[in-house]
Amino acid sequence: MAFDALFKPIQIGKHTIRNRVVSTAHAEVHATDGGMTTDRYVKYYEEKAKGGCGLCICGGSSIVSIDSPQGWWSSVNLSTDRIIPHFQNLADAVHKHGGKIMIQITHMGRRSRWDGFDWSTLVSPSGIREPVHRSTCKTIEEEEIWRIIGDFAQAARRAKEGGLDGVELSAVHQHLIDQFWSPRVNKRTDDWGGTFENRMRFGMEVLKAVRAEVGDDFTVGMRITGDEFHPDGLDHEEMKRIAAYYDATGKIDFFGVVGSGCDTHNTLANVIPNMSYPPEPFLHLASGIKEVVNVPVIHAQNIKDPNQAQRILEGGYVDMVGMTRAHIADPHIIAKIKNDQVDQIKQCVGANYCIDRQYQGLDVLCIQNAATSREYMGLPHIIEKTEGPTRKVVVVGGGPGGMEAARVCAERGHDVTLFEAKDQIGGQITIASKAPQRDQIAGITRWYQLELNRLGVDQRLGTKADEATIKDLRPDVVILATGGQPFLSQVPEWGYDADTDKSLVVSTWDILEGRVEPGKNVLIFDTICEFSGVSAADYLADKGCRVEIVTDDIKPGAAVGGTTFPTYYRSLYEKEVIMTSDLALHKVYREGESLVAVLENEYTGALEERVVDQVVVENGVRPDEALYYALKHQSRNKGQTDIEALYAIKPQPSLSQSGDGFALFRLGDCTAPRNTHAAIYDALRLCKDF
Amino acid sequence: MLDILLPILLFSALALAAIGAVRRARLWRQGRPSSVPVLKGLMQVPRRYLVDLHHVVERDKYISHTHVATAGGFVLAALLAIIVHGVGLDSAILAWVLLAATTSMFIGSILVAKRRSPPPSRLSKGPWMRLPKSLMAFSIGMFVITLPTAGILPDGVFQEGLGWIAALVLAAIIVWGLGEMFFGMTWGGPMKHAFAGALHLAYHRRPERFSDKTGGEHRSTGLKALKLNDDSAKLGVEKPADFTWNQLLGFDACVQCGRCEAACPAFAAGQPLNPKKLIQDMVVGMAGGSDANYAGSPYPGKPVGEHQGDPFGPIVAREGTALVDPETLWSCTTCRACVEECPMMIEHVDAIVDMRRFLTLEHGNTPNKGAEVLDNLIATDNPGGFDPDSRLHWAADLNLPLMADKKEADVLLWLGDGVFDMRNQRTLRAFISVLRAAGVDFAVLGNEERDSGDVARRLGDEATFQTLARRNIQTMSRYRFDRIVTCDPHSFHVLKNEYGELGTAEAPSSYHVQHHSTFISELVSANKLSFKAWKGGSVTYHDPCYLGRYNGEYEAPRDVLKALGIEIKEMARSGYRSRCCGGGGGAPITDIPGKQRIPDMRMEDVRETGADLVAVGCPQCTAMLEGVVEPRAGIKDIAELVADALIIDTAADKAAQAKADPAPALEETS
Repeated sequence: MAFDALFKPIQIGKHTIRNRVVSTAHAEVHATDGGMTTDRYVKYYEEKAKGGCGLCICGGSSIVSIDSPQGWWSSVNLSTDRIIPHFQNLADAVHKHGGKIMIQITHMGRRSRWDGFDWSTLVSPSGIREPVHRSTCKTIEEEEIWRIIGDFAQAARRAKEGGLDGVELSAVHQHLIDQFWSPRVNKRTDDWGGTFENRMRFGMEVLKAVRAEVGDDFTVGMRITGDEFHPDGLDHEEMKRIAAYYDATGKIDFFGVVGSGCDTHNTLANVIPNMSYPPEPFLHLASGIKEVVNVPVIHAQNIKDPNQAQRILEGGYVDMVGMTRAHIADPHIIAKIKNDQVDQIKQCVGANYCIDRQYQGLDVLCIQNAATSREYMGLPHIIEKTEGPTRKVVVVGGGPGGMEAARVCAERGHDVTLFEAKDQIGGQITIASKAPQRDQIAGITRWYQLELNRLGVDQRLGTKADEATIKDLRPDVVILATGGQPFLSQVPEWGYDADTDKSLVVSTWDILEGRVEPGKNVLIFDTICEFSGVSAADYLADKGCRVEIVTDDIKPGAAVGGTTFPTYYRSLYEKEVIMTSDLALHKVYREGESLVAVLENEYTGALEERVVDQVVVENGVRPDEALYYALKHQSRNKGQTDIEALYAIKPQPSLSQSGDGFALFRLGDCTAPRNTHAAIYDALRLCKDF
Repeated sequence: MLDILLPILLFSALALAAIGAVRRARLWRQGRPSSVPVLKGLMQVPRRYLVDLHHVVERDKYISHTHVATAGGFVLAALLAIIVHGVGLDSAILAWVLLAATTSMFIGSILVAKRRSPPPSRLSKGPWMRLPKSLMAFSIGMFVITLPTAGILPDGVFQEGLGWIAALVLAAIIVWGLGEMFFGMTWGGPMKHAFAGALHLAYHRRPERFSDKTGGEHRSTGLKALKLNDDSAKLGVEKPADFTWNQLLGFDACVQCGRCEAACPAFAAGQPLNPKKLIQDMVVGMAGGSDANYAGSPYPGKPVGEHQGDPFGPIVAREGTALVDPETLWSCTTCRACVEECPMMIEHVDAIVDMRRFLTLEHGNTPNKGAEVLDNLIATDNPGGFDPDSRLHWAADLNLPLMADKKEADVLLWLGDGVFDMRNQRTLRAFISVLRAAGVDFAVLGNEERDSGDVARRLGDEATFQTLARRNIQTMSRYRFDRIVTCDPHSFHVLKNEYGELGTAEAPSSYHVQHHSTFISELVSANKLSFKAWKGGSVTYHDPCYLGRYNGEYEAPRDVLKALGIEIKEMARSGYRSRCCGGGGGAPITDIPGKQRIPDMRMEDVRETGADLVAVGCPQCTAMLEGVVEPRAGIKDIAELVADALIIDTAADKAAQAKADPAPALEETS
């Protein structure tokens, strides 16, 4: 049987888990009500259980004490009995679909921020500052240690009383337990530091207290790192020793293993490997831990595909696989495997939109699945067929917004024609996928292509739709998702011309799509600071060009998220790309065979020049509005989207009103340049009631 | 002159017929012994002929009427001719009756002739083409010669003048007619079917098939157990003489009407099987010789005239050719369409499995995946070779009650090997949610359950079948239950019809077994289930062979669908004429190539109804039909349709949730 290893139940503590797939602990940023599990939180996990997930470990970094602030990431607050009834709702929602649910509990020690909420004084073994959060802290006192140990036990009790199936003690990501473990942070000379046993003491006392509180019929696991990857941190051999030491107590029911520490920007990127990483890059570390412990080992990190999961489990590397981002992209992944719909799984592409939002304290969302974590609003993962009239829908533009609109309308049972001027769908995703290490972003398009084919959408590729072709189809609904063009004409001094031979500047699209030959000496001016600028720099450097990337923002790639800019930086530094900030592109002129770029310092106004043979400008997208204005006044709704209905996830009133002609809507960058998620979200909430 | 000639001709023909009969009987007696009630059997013939056989024949009204006229006319005419013209009883009344009988026979023979002009492909040609003329010769000859006796023509009309010439012509016609009808009957002519057929009815190997005066269902479809410990007999049938004598007799009864050929899914798919040819090959083998004289459709892809056999030679050669090639035997899906259609009540499937038994047990020659599947069954008790302790992996979140814990339950839910198949797991989950909604007290055997043995038995591995069956019987003997319910018609069939022979005093093996559609139908009748209104599209229903033809259950699945508010769009081939999905008898395992696939043909049947969905009741059918490339109708088990429509009242829902029922319908993402 295919995927048999995936569907072999496993005993964790006293619980039988129905399959080997775990949604591992991650901060959802949904416990917005003072750390209570909200309706949104419950529905988010219910969807995974409904979709067949075996075990959900919710609440990454859920706190046990009030001096570990939860507000920054809206994590779950287990420091009060107020949480218990909320847990009961959560447990019921998951249990009724046959799933199991546990929660991660922790004290984050120094790994937080103090400048808000209760303005807590953060604690850590030796008061050493944490760089990622720029957080200072005090040296923890013995009284506080014992208080926090007691808090752990009480938190575990609350989880048990709330009907959850277990807790996972976080001793990973440099939380308080592993702050005590790590000699890099623990410089104490008392009973809580120094020797191995002393460094282990805090975690051991937490474990003993928790187990004593909850007894044997409640699952207690521990999440640890497999190697911190710091020369002065905990290495793999040390971690094996630690795991074996705790396992020997018989008080732990499972271990979760994560590769890498994360208290620097660079190591943090390892923890949630983005698309530049190979599959399961740190599996060997989890396997190493499995060698020395007697209880099941769970491992997540870039396991996204059922075949990959089957291979890992069949090989016996670990006992359970974490497929957390895989579930964010598609909470029905298990059901689709069971229903023989593997081709319909929306696979995580590692864009890390979810985690990069989380590190900014924003709710976790999926770049390609707008329904995820919006279940509570009624946004569906499975689109129902309409019971109303079947409509003729014309979608113009095959970028993210157009693809989603076409998919949703086709799922609704409408007759859909999709026009795309290029000979493949994908829009800007296709351009983005040309950069080194960014090819996997095209997975978004791959899924849409499979779905549009399955749903029988009439795809007119290589066809630029105009007013006549659209009206010939006698549509009931026209959706424009025509995107836009690089906005190089904003500053006349840049010398942009539509004719590439005459133009003094080219766009990052020109570079990534291979429309212009890369120069030898290239200056990239990137005022946007998202992916396209650094991608173009990486692309050109990869081709052997000498590249300087200049921005007037605080640093190149400033708007690229926390788990992704480090992998760009690794690549750009290695290829000797010069990264310069605080300079704006003032003017470009030709001098002989060369181009001179005049740069102006943001803060002093001083001008400086670069003599190069190519100037690339990234200045965002200018919407393409021509078709919209050609159609606007012929449409029954004058092109207007009712935003009250849209934001409330309600049907567009214009569709139910009687009238002649078609309804016209705009999505994505052809309205205003935003991002992939915005285009897909608008398409889903607009079209789901068509 | 005719006064003298006629009795001579009549009694000579009868004498020759008697000699032929003895010679023919000797051919049958080459077979293995099988004890039969000699006189009682003969006494049964009229009823078996007039009721049971006629029941099959009358499905084709045309030939039914034709046969009544022809055969009825002939039997009466023959008897009266012996009395009137043989013994010379000069009775005008009898002569008039004889005239009427020959008239009836003549009309019948015209209809026979009409049916053969031109003959449809399923009918054999050759000697069969002259049969209508022979029938006419007999009836016309007897009619004309009886005219003087009846007083219509003057006595002596054939003795004067031109009458002599007429008499000569008449004599010739009568010789032809008598030759075909009396002599030919026992010397291998087309009329052999009447003689062998009557005796076949008397000594049929499955007397349970025939009705008695009490009425009711009479069905006998379970394979008979092979005595594995009999050192004197080889395992299965190697040579024609290894069949029992009454099986050989049964083959000889074949009238070559080709109804089996027309019904056979393997033949239609262009696989090298034609049930009619197979029976004729057995007849060739019994008498010795080549199949060159066979005048019907050959096995697809196998020209006639290249095979020969004799009663004591192997039917299937280890190398080269003999009477039948092995792929012919392995093409059969054991769907019983041929047996169901056969007006002579011949048991094709028994014969095929008998021959497969030899190939598997003595030659070890089960083709393609056959050997692997049998090895798996021996090693792991399931055909896929899965860990036998993983039978309940799919149900880890269902908390199914185990017989080992409960010891007794109203219903023993037999899960079958579909537990290893993700598609069938959906059906099982659906059925379990139905059981829970209806508050049924059930339990499963879990890891104690073993493959039912169906596939092993149809692949000829009787030893593995019996081992599996005995172990299952032993297991079940430890528990108390009122009935067994299963979603798998193959398990259903063997548990119900084939385990019975294998029980012991300590572990009796006669069970009340129900297919899940029957059980659901009972729950519906008892108002244990309530349903939402049907909102899906149009639905057709595919009868599984092992539920329908094997066990006569055609109504319960349809009743359940009707209870859901579904109006069934029946396929042209449904009910007892349902076309097999291609999944039975181990056919997907032996996988003999043809010109097209059987499930493709079945989905074409579905397509003709215009239905959006085909309801099924068998894991094999589900797998085969879902294997057909899209676009095609959707495929759902009846249990899934019922589960989807269930209205679960909240109190029961809460109780069910307490048992961690994962509401399988929600897991469906399709």
